[in-house]
Amino acid sequence: MSRASARRPQLTLTELHQLKWLLGAGLTLLAVGTVFYMEVDAWVLMGLTAAATVATAARPGLPARVPRLAHWLAFPAMVAFFAGDLWLKTEILPAMVRLAVMLLLYRNITYRQRRDDLQVVVLGLFLVVVAGVLTVSLTFAAHLLVYTGCALALLLVITLTDAATGGKKQPPVPVGETPDWAQEADWGRLAGRLREVSDWRVLGFGAVLFAGVVGVSALLFLAIPRFQLENSMFLDRLITKKARSGFSDTIKFGDVTEIQQDTGVALSVDVSDQSQIPASPYWRMLVLDHYENGTFRLSLGLVGQEFGPGRTHALVHGDVKPQLGVATVWTFFLESGVSRYLPLLGRFELLRFREVQNFRLAPNLGLLALREEPASMTAYRVEGFDLSGVLPDPGFAQRWRERAEANPRRGTLQVRLPLDAAEQAQLAQLGREIAGPGRLAAGDFAQRTEEWLRRNHAYTLSPSIPAGAGDPLVRWLVSREAGHCELFAGAFVLLARASGYPARVVTGFRGGSWNGYSNNFTIRNADAHAWAEIFDEARGAWLRADPLGTSAAAQAAEPRGEQALVSRMDRSWKARLDSLRVFWYRRIVSFDTASQAETLKAMKEATQSTGKRLREEFAAAVAKVKAWLAQPWDGRRLLRIAAAVAALAALVWGWREFGRGWLRGWSRNRGAKGHPVRREAGGWLRRLEAADPDDPRVRAAIAELQRLRYGAPGTWPEPQGAFRRARVAARIGRPREDAVMAAGK
Amino acid sequence: MERAAEWSGPGARAPRAGFSWAVLLWSLVYPQRGHRILPTIPGVILIALALGIGTAAYNSSSNILFITLSLLLACLILSGVLSWLNLRGTEWRLQLAPPLRAGHDAVVGLDLRNGKRFLPTYGLWFEFLAKPVDRYGPARAESTVTASGAEVKAALARAEAAERRGRVPQIGRLDPRGEGRVEWIVRPAERGRLRVELASVGSLFPFGFLRKDVGTEVRCDAIVWPAPTEYRRHALGAARRVAGGERVTRPGTGGDLLAVRRYTPGDSHRLIHWKASARTQTLLVRQLAAESAEGYSLWVRTEGGMWRRPEQFEVLVSLAATLAEDLFRTGRLVAVAIDGGGPLPVRRVHDLELFLDALAVLRISEQPFAPAPETGAAGAEPATGTPRGGRQQVITFVPDGVRGVAAYVDGQLAASA
Repeated sequence: MSRASARRPQLTLTELHQLKWLLGAGLTLLAVGTVFYMEVDAWVLMGLTAAATVATAARPGLPARVPRLAHWLAFPAMVAFFAGDLWLKTEILPAMVRLAVMLLLYRNITYRQRRDDLQVVVLGLFLVVVAGVLTVSLTFAAHLLVYTGCALALLLVITLTDAATGGKKQPPVPVGETPDWAQEADWGRLAGRLREVSDWRVLGFGAVLFAGVVGVSALLFLAIPRFQLENSMFLDRLITKKARSGFSDTIKFGDVTEIQQDTGVALSVDVSDQSQIPASPYWRMLVLDHYENGTFRLSLGLVGQEFGPGRTHALVHGDVKPQLGVATVWTFFLESGVSRYLPLLGRFELLRFREVQNFRLAPNLGLLALREEPASMTAYRVEGFDLSGVLPDPGFAQRWRERAEANPRRGTLQVRLPLDAAEQAQLAQLGREIAGPGRLAAGDFAQRTEEWLRRNHAYTLSPSIPAGAGDPLVRWLVSREAGHCELFAGAFVLLARASGYPARVVTGFRGGSWNGYSNNFTIRNADAHAWAEIFDEARGAWLRADPLGTSAAAQAAEPRGEQALVSRMDRSWKARLDSLRVFWYRRIVSFDTASQAETLKAMKEATQSTGKRLREEFAAAVAKVKAWLAQPWDGRRLLRIAAAVAALAALVWGWREFGRGWLRGWSRNRGAKGHPVRREAGGWLRRLEAADPDDPRVRAAIAELQRLRYGAPGTWPEPQGAFRRARVAARIGRPREDAVMAAGK
Repeated sequence: MERAAEWSGPGARAPRAGFSWAVLLWSLVYPQRGHRILPTIPGVILIALALGIGTAAYNSSSNILFITLSLLLACLILSGVLSWLNLRGTEWRLQLAPPLRAGHDAVVGLDLRNGKRFLPTYGLWFEFLAKPVDRYGPARAESTVTASGAEVKAALARAEAAERRGRVPQIGRLDPRGEGRVEWIVRPAERGRLRVELASVGSLFPFGFLRKDVGTEVRCDAIVWPAPTEYRRHALGAARRVAGGERVTRPGTGGDLLAVRRYTPGDSHRLIHWKASARTQTLLVRQLAAESAEGYSLWVRTEGGMWRRPEQFEVLVSLAATLAEDLFRTGRLVAVAIDGGGPLPVRRVHDLELFLDALAVLRISEQPFAPAPETGAAGAEPATGTPRGGRQQVITFVPDGVRGVAAYVDGQLAASA
């Protein structure tokens, strides 16, 4: 076809088919890989598909061995499976995902036609998009980019294959037969051929174009007009979510510690005013008031008493009154699988979800619970946090005051101790030892109890509770064993309740690191924590008591803002990666009409400021030139200028005379040395060194190869033919084994 | 119309017109003639996907879906850019090598050139169109206001039946700064003027989403000679020798001097005419005459009164062309004439080609048939107006039955087809 085609080899039709097969397999693997983070029960199918894909990619002859019966039964079986799946599990989305994986499996154990390849692309895109919508994770972005690149490469190869066949439709491969391209598949050789036919300039240009695609899609993403339709249908409502780990209504000893083993990010928090950041933030999630035999849980009584009715809205109004000035805005990005209870720093003025949510609010407990476990990242903004560490609870205060009255509807007082008398007496005795004879204020009691616990127990993530009868927490309390945060918090609650103070366990996160790159809090699962709250009758509020951390009273004296952040600053590589995630959440996932307007405004301001700066720089440069011209002219100055002009002229002349030619020659030689045809010719010449030089075919092959290796491209013979002849010559010229042995003797 | 012998296409250097945004935008709204972009099945799937994802994105306000939508749209843009880059710098030139003969394959060549510096060109195809010119009047109905539907359909059907279309793909890669060639084999159905056009250049490159067709104005006109026909010789070989009959003199290797001409490299030194060379101070050689043989003249008459059936007229033209070529090959064709036109001597191939060209576009004339007064019968040898004004060895043609055509030499049947 092309007269210049001798310069660079081209892929044959067979090689294009092989490449297409390989790319289809790659796409399939990428697509089924989404099951890893999609939380759909399709692990077996995924493993099967991945294994089959790898096997057929490695040995493309395998699909010919699939029995005819399997082809006949494939689609009825898939339809039956899908119907059964839907009927048994009544979840449309997981069923569709499993169906897509099955179809991909089938497409990889049969020889694909053009439409089958397109089906693979569409099915894969479906899986990737569903995974992205369900998880909203940064992995989706990487996955989508890689998938797009591979899909475009596959479509390009399909187009080239069609062009190589002259647009003629290829007949389907009969069942049981192996096409030629599959029989000749040699991936190592194909890789070599790809290297030969590739031009680094074209590859570089392709990479630039792909980067351009990413850039254009980013621009389109920013520019696409946004408006929101209410009552939306969303994919994540078509799937039942379940938490992978995290906090639930019931926590046994060790649960929080188990969460601490996970170093993954649980929560990222943006703060609009860094001066408001407390030194030791406690992210409250759950209050556990009921204790029984080593387990704390949120009692149904407290739930019924404190949680309001379920609501569906994007706005939640708290009970903190608006303050003068601009309220600090805290933007939370809660990862999936953490809990349906949202982490909060305390009471708040206003909470705004990114999208409408079903929730229940417990204002006196400072808790907010979603109806369902979010399967994807949940974003919400909170304004006007009360950061005092004190939680006013007028309702409980009222009940506490009226505790002596016999009121069956009074509700829980959070002082119950389901222990036997001996244990209760033991705890009361300990309480007296700690607090002394009189009744202390709740804050003082908390402080002494925290000190006592710290004095008697060390901290460990691997505690051991002494064996014996009775309550396990009491056994640990009276021992000198080390313990984790749950044991400390639980022991505090038992001691407080035994001494007549209402107390409860609170779970959530403590602290976190400050990402120095993206300027946000990163709270990991390893920051999971349990602490206690004790009711202060005098203030009518709950006070935080943390035997392993900072009490509410101490927190008030701690520095805030930048000073508080210094010790939490994280500039590690992990933080750099986390900053990408935060960028994803801030700029992509949370992008809305307001963000769009902000972006446009920022672009306008940037353009204006850049224009202004350029104008100023230009004016300054003109002023400099004017000042330079206005300087007195003398002989020395003129001489200097003339010398500079002469040097510049010499430089230009030297470049035009020598430099340009040298550069051209250098690049030409460089290109020639690196030419794939020359390289391959060199390889064949080396191989033919051992051949019989007297054989005319060997001599002819060497002459052709030398022409390819050293000759001008215009004089080249057809390279593939020359290499074929060289292969034959190498075979002929190879000394026979018996001759070699005879020579050896 | 662009001239076929010149390079044309996106890469050809055209006189630079002043750039105007208005022209550019208008060309996007109203493309040039022949320019067309149509979605393929994958393209339709992609557009449907984009619509579905866009609807879902707006319905759910999911930025994940907005990202996917943006990426799909960016892929469409990339497809357009790559398609434009693929065609950019590509040039083509139509090459049509005569002679073309009705019913015989002819090669239409298209030279390709990729003027880009490092980007190859892939996956083009070329739509060729060959159609007769002015064969049945205007090729398409000029007006559908006055014409009835049946007339329009008939005109279109006639035009399309006479057209030959073909698509030739570009196999392989056209390297940067490289050249290539594609060939289309066309078999003209009938004699006459034939216009070969490169109707469009299409491509699915790079991803097959959109089928892009670029209309071209490249065309080339050619004359299709009549198809050779089988004929039966009757008495041509045994035709009587006429005393003083016309003899043919043409260059050859005989003994008689025909002319003196300038020496050209390759001429034998023995042929140099030394005397004439010395006289003229120019190297001259003798040109000898070939052995003479009796010659014939062909006279083709096209009166409508004689040729009432068009298909019989076609047989006449084919027989005349075949006889002319056969006689020329044996060196016995002296002159040719059509109707009342003067006889044209046939000495060179070029003369024969001119006659075949004339036969290719020959039509039945409106003149009434005037029978020769001497014979008094149709089909007999004409009495007047013979080539060279004589009656020597003139081959004339008359209808033979309802389909056939007979050739007469001096009143004797010589051949029939």
